[in-house]
Amino acid sequence: MDEVFEKKLPKPEKLNAMTGESLHAAFAGESQAAEKYMVFAEQAEQEGFPNIARLFRAISFAETRHARNHLRVMGGVNTTVDNLLVAFQGESFEIDEMYPAYQEIAKLQMNLQALKAIFFAIKAEEDHKRMYADAREAALKGADIADQPVSVCLVCGHTVIGDVPDKCPVCAAAKEYYRTFA
Amino acid sequence: MVEPFKNTPPEPEKLGVMTEGNLKAAFAGESQASQKYLAFSAKAREEGLENVARLFEAVAYAESMHARNHLSVLDGIGGTVENLKAAFGGETFEIDEMYPAYDAVAKLQGAKEAVTSIRYAKTAEQDHQAIYDATRETAQTGKDMEATPINVCPICGHTVIGSAPDECPVCGTAGVYFRSF
Repeated sequence: MDEVFEKKLPKPEKLNAMTGESLHAAFAGESQAAEKYMVFAEQAEQEGFPNIARLFRAISFAETRHARNHLRVMGGVNTTVDNLLVAFQGESFEIDEMYPAYQEIAKLQMNLQALKAIFFAIKAEEDHKRMYADAREAALKGADIADQPVSVCLVCGHTVIGDVPDKCPVCAAAKEYYRTFA
Repeated sequence: MVEPFKNTPPEPEKLGVMTEGNLKAAFAGESQASQKYLAFSAKAREEGLENVARLFEAVAYAESMHARNHLSVLDGIGGTVENLKAAFGGETFEIDEMYPAYDAVAKLQGAKEAVTSIRYAKTAEQDHQAIYDATRETAQTGKDMEATPINVCPICGHTVIGSAPDECPVCGTAGVYFRSF
């Protein structure tokens, strides 16, 4: 749908440092709001408020529109070959630096639940890094990747291309806990 | 890391200050990764790379699961009444402080596209603030809100309860393009 609106969407422009910083912060804020509202939707669903759940989902979608707009103005949306490289680098940073550092500190402070959240994330980022590298190789040749379902574990985020395992290899959740993008 | 990590999402716990800061940063990182991948997914679709688009979408969802896990450990998920209050508070901060400050700087620096992006966001946050406030009042009496459709403009995020307008009052996009929840 985005191409239909190319003319209406805010465009990349040369930004001074302060405005660049503002948009970075706004992108961070909108992204976090969007995630929070999706979690709040689940909570509302559990409490028997389906319409409030729907409201949270709708507003989460609105925040993703803002996040995308800010990202575009910052020049953060490029060709897919470039986007795959950015994605690969982000995953690499999380695997090589960010999560290992957080993990050490959480161990030091004996925060077991934090360790669990970090462990789940790091394992999935390894899947993502590999998938992005493969996809980039294909895209560099002008080809799409193979037409296979991609499935994600609802508990830990484990990501798999092709068949869903009987049990998540990371958190042992049953296969019913996977969401499939087909 | 061996085995204590079975089956269920992580739960709130009393956190060291450093670990709390790290989880907040990780929540911010995962949230931004998720949003980036959704934007990248739309771009891949535009380029006819349907399967790459799907990969980005799935990985965005995985990052959302991580964001939720971090938020859960940070004790950021309350009951719905509390969540509506938190949501209202976030929108209020953006309307009263964050976006006005950013808008002033962007205008000073002549960044036209940034001004537009900020205006779209701020205008929609005003819709959200009002809706969250009314909804919290209802939820406090133990009631759900009414089963009316909610429509969102795919360009600027303008949000209306009830049917979509003929044209978005904020950015002029035709109402037929609104996404209905």
